[in-house]
Amino acid sequence: MTGQAAKRLGTHGEDLAVAELERQGMTLVARNWRCRVGEVDVIAEETVNGRTTVVFCEVKCRSGLGFGDPLEAITYAKVRKLRQLAAEWLAQTGTQPDAIRVDAVGIVLARGSAPVVRHERGIGG
Amino acid sequence: MMASAWSVALVGLDGQIVEVEADIGGGLPRTVLVGLPDTALYEARDRCKAAVSNSAVAWPASLLTINLSPATLPKTGSHYDLAIVAAVLGAADQFAASELADTVLLGELGLDGRVRGVRGILPATLAAAQRGFRRVIVPRTQAVEAQLVDDIEVFGVASLRQLLALLRHDPIPDEDELRADDSAEPDRTSDVRSRSLDLADVAGQAEAKWALEVAAAGRHHIFFHGPPGVGKTMLAERLPGLLPDLGVADALEVSAIHSLAGVELDSGLIMRPPYADPHHSASMPAVIGGGPRMAKPGAISRAHRGVLFMDEAPEFSSGVLEAMRTPLESGVVFLTRSQMQTRYPARFQLVLAANPCPCGKFGTPGADCRCPPMAIRRYGQKLSDPIRDRIDISQTFRPPRRTRVRAGLDGGESSATVAGRVAEARDRQARRLAGSQWRCNGEVDGPYLRRHLPLPDGLDAVDDALDRRLLSPRGVDKVLRVAWTVADLAGVDRPLAEHVAVALAMRRGEPSPSWRAVS
Repeated sequence: MTGQAAKRLGTHGEDLAVAELERQGMTLVARNWRCRVGEVDVIAEETVNGRTTVVFCEVKCRSGLGFGDPLEAITYAKVRKLRQLAAEWLAQTGTQPDAIRVDAVGIVLARGSAPVVRHERGIGG
Repeated sequence: MMASAWSVALVGLDGQIVEVEADIGGGLPRTVLVGLPDTALYEARDRCKAAVSNSAVAWPASLLTINLSPATLPKTGSHYDLAIVAAVLGAADQFAASELADTVLLGELGLDGRVRGVRGILPATLAAAQRGFRRVIVPRTQAVEAQLVDDIEVFGVASLRQLLALLRHDPIPDEDELRADDSAEPDRTSDVRSRSLDLADVAGQAEAKWALEVAAAGRHHIFFHGPPGVGKTMLAERLPGLLPDLGVADALEVSAIHSLAGVELDSGLIMRPPYADPHHSASMPAVIGGGPRMAKPGAISRAHRGVLFMDEAPEFSSGVLEAMRTPLESGVVFLTRSQMQTRYPARFQLVLAANPCPCGKFGTPGADCRCPPMAIRRYGQKLSDPIRDRIDISQTFRPPRRTRVRAGLDGGESSATVAGRVAEARDRQARRLAGSQWRCNGEVDGPYLRRHLPLPDGLDAVDDALDRRLLSPRGVDKVLRVAWTVADLAGVDRPLAEHVAVALAMRRGEPSPSWRAVS
């Protein structure tokens, strides 16, 4: 897969992930938010019983299971990085939510079959 | 989602049931293996994962926790693979998890999903049957071994696909036969060899042959002493051929030890007494048993209910020789390691052979021994008094003279003839000792010998030897035991004075002028 194709697959995956999060009632805050620490794929807000949670979401998209499940690719180091990014985002935007959470969305886009989307909440430990 | 499968942890020959639990929960895909596994077992995680993927089944992509219970029991080895895979796939609803009830699974997986043989199938299956399990699933190559156990249904599987089909009640797919080089060449016991060895091949040494017959009849420890090349080793090798077949209970125990030591039992139970002849360079773990963390059986346990021959005994390290003191008396060896105390049976018959000095010529008339006196003494002392004291029969070999060699070309009696007399003597012992825990004179303990059996005639000579410190109290019991065996061979119901005299001479390693008279 060339870089271009990988990028298209990633963007398509993120579209699907945002759709899934919105389906669950979350509001999109930012996509591909970058800073010197790195990048968060999707930032969303979820309000349950008046409590607002900011969700930092990593999206992994793969075109098949040949290299394993997409969620398997999210390592401990990646999760730690996401927590750092969350702190950075809160500092930069000055937001003070009731809670924050790190989620992951794994998507398998196999040719000729419907995309399989799996959302795991609270992977940050 | 959770499922449990069952396997067996072996501590020595004793099996303990291990429950393998698998739980599929939410979270990033990760497989965690807990429950005190050793390295080989920890690697099972990766082995099982590859085997499952290569068998066209999906490994659960979630947080998968595998627990081996009881968690405090240290678990070693690779035979848990089948149970781990079964628990995982049961938790993933690949088949009804109830299929795993009452079933013990044993076997290692290859990365391609092939099921490989493991050690200790027989003792593990025995443990499963004793705990009331109804079914055991083992590597197909070892199904014959597991079938030696009664009261349990045995299934052999060659691959993970076959295992899945079995648990799903699908037709079992065929698998290519395992290539011959997949399993190591079966480590045959020296049984075939011992059968082809005949006593008639040994020239002369009639007295030593008779001593061997007594040793065989009563399971007495024997020490062969003499210059090189007179037939010490030849005679020792022919001892197993004189012994009767093992009883079923003994055969099962012997086979279990050999299974643990990695001997394939594809031709059924080991019915012949085993024979072990470690080289004199053998280490302590090789002879006594050992290894890190969990001890493995050594030569003395592989010779359980059979013969342990130590040729060139003074060349063995003194540590190895001295370590045999306790098992020689108790018939078991306890090996204590940091994590486990392991018990192996070791009721072997010891045959020692030694030269009189480093060059071997000392004491032979006309031979020119050049060993300095100190070296001769040191050589003799390598076999310490405590070890010598545990030997029932001491037999000195003399170089045969020309006429004897010539006359002995036909070698005298065949092994079959002698084995017949040995079997008769064993029958007499078994009848006399019926109701006790022993079967042979060599095993009976001292108090029973003195209180429950009639005392032999002619004990004055024994008392005399004890008074003169020529015999230890232990030695008195040894003489009594050998006297009983001599009487059994002679077909007499109670040892007479002449039998005691012969036994005393054999114990003391003196030439016994009357041996011909009683035989």
